[in-house]
Amino acid sequence: MTALLECRDLVVGYDKPIVEDVNLVVEAHEIVALLGGSGCGKSTLLRTITGLLPPLAGKVLLFGESLYDLPPEGRAELLTRTGTAFQQDALFGSMTIGDNIALPLRELTKLPQALIKEMVRMKLGLVGLSGFEGRSPNSLSGGQRKRAALARATIMDQQLVFCDEPSAGLDPVVAATIDDTLKQFRATLGITLVVVTHVIESVKQIADRAVMLAGGRICAEGTIAELERSTIPAVHGFFHRVPPPMTTSRTAIDAITRGAS
Amino acid sequence: MPEPVASVERDGRAAVVRLQGDLTVPTAKALFGELSEVARRRDVKSVVLDFGGVGRIDSSGIAAVSLVGRQLERSGKKLEMRELEERHRAAFAMVPKKVAEPAPIADETALEHVGASVIDAWDGIKGLTSIVKDAGAQAVLVASRRKQLPAGSVLAQILEMGVNGVFIVGILAFLIGMTMAFQGVTQLSRFGAGVFMADMLSLSMVRELAPLITAIILTGRTGAAIAAELGTMKVRSEIDALATMGINPNRFLILPRVLAITFAGPALTLMAMFIGMTAGMLVASLTIDLPAIAYWSRIAEFVTLGDYAHGLIKSLLFSWIIAISGSLFGMRATGDSSSVGHATTRTVVVSVLLIIFVDAIFATMATIL
Repeated sequence: MTALLECRDLVVGYDKPIVEDVNLVVEAHEIVALLGGSGCGKSTLLRTITGLLPPLAGKVLLFGESLYDLPPEGRAELLTRTGTAFQQDALFGSMTIGDNIALPLRELTKLPQALIKEMVRMKLGLVGLSGFEGRSPNSLSGGQRKRAALARATIMDQQLVFCDEPSAGLDPVVAATIDDTLKQFRATLGITLVVVTHVIESVKQIADRAVMLAGGRICAEGTIAELERSTIPAVHGFFHRVPPPMTTSRTAIDAITRGAS
Repeated sequence: MPEPVASVERDGRAAVVRLQGDLTVPTAKALFGELSEVARRRDVKSVVLDFGGVGRIDSSGIAAVSLVGRQLERSGKKLEMRELEERHRAAFAMVPKKVAEPAPIADETALEHVGASVIDAWDGIKGLTSIVKDAGAQAVLVASRRKQLPAGSVLAQILEMGVNGVFIVGILAFLIGMTMAFQGVTQLSRFGAGVFMADMLSLSMVRELAPLITAIILTGRTGAAIAAELGTMKVRSEIDALATMGINPNRFLILPRVLAITFAGPALTLMAMFIGMTAGMLVASLTIDLPAIAYWSRIAEFVTLGDYAHGLIKSLLFSWIIAISGSLFGMRATGDSSSVGHATTRTVVVSVLLIIFVDAIFATMATIL
């Protein structure tokens, strides 16, 4: 069986590389957390994986097909099989919540309106926002908006869903609700999730496996228990809240991300 | 009169400065002045700061003392601090031992500035061609019914651009038509040719003024709105969201706007032509008693279909200039809210410039041919 997502020797960045040597495989039905501190390049990597930022080198394979080797139409086609929930929710401010969530169905399928309405109703119920169809995104709280964005990202029952910081900046109760929703999505819809986050609690709750970025590369990979026991300073510091020494020199970063030699 | 923060006593070649009261923002300027004056004196070889009478020290006090300390160090003099309490000592520990100079911000030279502008303009042209190409390809897909436009979007845009603009375009066309008519009547009546005002007014309204007035208003109303809306969507990653859904942003956002303005621009222009001429009719009947029927029949005789076509084709080009520059600059907004403001400004400036430019080309061609 082919992996849903595979990165091969991927180098991402804008003009200069931000993250290099990314080799990553995500199998079906996994929940994988992409960890890392602020500014480590998690979101840039996600932009490349979701087709928004061509890589500087290497390949991104979605469902076994190389994303950036396809013509634009084929790329768009492939992306419809994935869903993305953005960090800033990215709900369309000029549309109601119902229209926001229905948008992919209306644009990409020829389903009758009544059916689309029913699917939106179901999805809103699943994220705990029943009856919010007619509300405008501006009238929702941060947590509600994130849940609405999640509903939109999964409306086509995409097999692979990316979430950028789904629970960052939310209170613990709302964050826990989001985590529950994500787990429920996997259980009921069988979706595979790649979650970018720096919230340790939520990683422990939901992820089967985590990949940690630091110093411009993947510095550790494994189950949460394995990472918690890791002696690599960057990983240890991340899980046990140890501030790193203030430094930007290359050798010092290598020492932090690779463990003491 | 604020209390003195320091009193200076001489002790041989040393100056002893007794500091008093709080060394905080309100007293920092006086403190810094006093200390640097002492530090500058030629006959002073070392400065002793006595903190015995000092209450609270904040960052400004610490900065003043450490700055003077560095001045003294540079001129080979010594600084000694006495009677420091523990809390003061802790505060001074905040001062880094070695202060790195802030990285210099390179001043852009004139040449670099020109280079950056050229690169920016080149990026703009590349962006323009890619948007026009992609929107064109999407238009072909829509026309061949393989893809569809978002339901109701073109109609909604026509309402917003056209119908909601009727009032302002109408008022302006009427006022300008009236002003032109008065001008014409006054000048032409001097030669007993007042009746020719109808010819003059109708021709300039149909060929020049109506397309221009409409285009300028569309730039301000619609072009700016397109740029601001798309720019905000870009900044809030709504455009990225569309792309990850596999929905082409150019088809979803730009194509409906370009199609809508294709109808709305010429339609508003046609309306402006007739409202302007109607204003002329009112002026003519009030000032030179020209009957309406005579006025309109002069126009019908004088203004050919070719003149209307000339005005409408220009108006179509102007409309496309407005919609495409609004879309281009909106889509190129990045990062922060100020970029949305830039996008709007550039749309208005570039649109107006291009519109006048195209207008001049049309006028020249029409005269030569």
